[in-house]
Amino acid sequence: MILQAMLIGCIAALTALEGDWLGESKFREPLVTGFLVGLVLGDVKQGVIIGGQLQLIWMGATGIGLSAQLDIGTGGTIGTAFALMTGKGAEVAITFGLPVSILMQFMNTVKMTFFSGMMHKADQYAEAVNIRGMTWIHYSCGLITFVLYFFPTFFTIYLGSGAVEAIVKQLPEWVTQGLTAVSSLLPALGFAMLMQILMETRLIPFFIVGFVAAAYTGLDMMAITLIAVAIAWVMYMLKADSVKKEEEDLL
Amino acid sequence: MSKDKNFVNKEYNITKRDFRKVFWRSFTLLGSYNFERMEALGFDYSMMPVLKKIYGDDKQRLAEALRRHMEAFNMTVAPSTFVMGISIAMEEKYEKDPSFDVNSINAIKLALMGPLSGIGDTFFWGIFRILAAAIGVSFALKGNIIAPFVFLIMFNVPHFLVRYFGLFIGYRNGNDFLTKIEQSGQMSLFTYCAGIVGITAVGCMIATQIAVSSPLQFTISGNKIVIQEYLDQIMPQLLPLIATLVVYYCLKKKVKVGYIMAGIIIGFICGVLGILA
Repeated sequence: MILQAMLIGCIAALTALEGDWLGESKFREPLVTGFLVGLVLGDVKQGVIIGGQLQLIWMGATGIGLSAQLDIGTGGTIGTAFALMTGKGAEVAITFGLPVSILMQFMNTVKMTFFSGMMHKADQYAEAVNIRGMTWIHYSCGLITFVLYFFPTFFTIYLGSGAVEAIVKQLPEWVTQGLTAVSSLLPALGFAMLMQILMETRLIPFFIVGFVAAAYTGLDMMAITLIAVAIAWVMYMLKADSVKKEEEDLL
Repeated sequence: MSKDKNFVNKEYNITKRDFRKVFWRSFTLLGSYNFERMEALGFDYSMMPVLKKIYGDDKQRLAEALRRHMEAFNMTVAPSTFVMGISIAMEEKYEKDPSFDVNSINAIKLALMGPLSGIGDTFFWGIFRILAAAIGVSFALKGNIIAPFVFLIMFNVPHFLVRYFGLFIGYRNGNDFLTKIEQSGQMSLFTYCAGIVGITAVGCMIATQIAVSSPLQFTISGNKIVIQEYLDQIMPQLLPLIATLVVYYCLKKKVKVGYIMAGIIIGFICGVLGILA
């Protein structure tokens, strides 16, 4: 158990360092953490399934705007871990993952305030051409991040799993029902956030096409995406000429 | 500019290897993110290999350059190398001609932050991430363990390409490239077409990935009435669509987070009462 808790702590730290050192290459998303947590806890398949469900719920959780208030990396990791340990589904993952994601984001805010102070030291190093010093500050921030994400996750999993299991076992039927409804509604919030990024009036027709194609015909995601690519291609060809004309007018 | 394969700029002895260093270092752009300077130290750190070559032993001007890039900087990370490329080209100009307006370097960086972040957010958060995640989820829900790999590869191929070539394009064509692409309307057409794919995928996911339904049923004079059957007759997946549109409307009206929490509680109560599941 202690080894598993340590590995899960490392996964949570990885999700934080994914932004810091891996250029936001998306290791923090539940699809990936679900797989990794599943690997650690010995049920990869179930981990991937719960990861997929959490991914839907947090589909709109981007780094911008309102949704930046959620740390889906640690939330997803701890949520999936508890769901697997208790043998339950995504509703347990979201029940424990959501508060964690809010708490960790708060801690992140404190961290970024603290790092501000270190920048003045970096200024001094820059003036003295102390490149090694600047590099050290840059990387020590990442090391601090590792510590700040590893230990809370480790202790939550190591000390909390017993308590969580007891709580989950004693949940009355009506609470489970309510949580199920919430977890099946939450993806709507995610998709609404996505629409906020993408939606324009002139895109509404394509939104309708996507919905209807899936709801009535049962075509899968890949097929509909390819149809969308074809439509986008046609629209591009239709409009490219007029853009070119404008370009010539400009010159 | 040198045609030599391994040199990006022979005059300063800057090789492709140096540019590759900048590319790899750019992955740590957020490494010391903070409220005061945001990505400044990460930007500075990424530029170091090339700055050292440009200013060589001129410690004072190197110090100036290092200090210059410690000014606040913040943008979507994937296309940030484009700005690094432009900055490198301008640093070279300044090294050669000290009368070159050095403030313009940071001015350009500031000017590019907004528009490039806007484009970057649309493509990387809005489109590549959604499509990759949507395809990944469709594998994941079937319990197929290739899901995370499909997701990571689909997202990161365009990510790495933009990050790598952005550096060179920024260096070689810099400003011309952006102004041309913006003036000609190419970019907005391209964004529009990418938006078509993105929004179609969102429409599709609303229909397939939101599981909300109503278990409500009555018995009226011996006839069992199942609400969900009626809803399906109006339109399949009606509840997911309504739920999403209501939330979208609220978000657009910029309602307070509290209302969204209230919505979640209402959802919970509906679940308890057996209206929704």
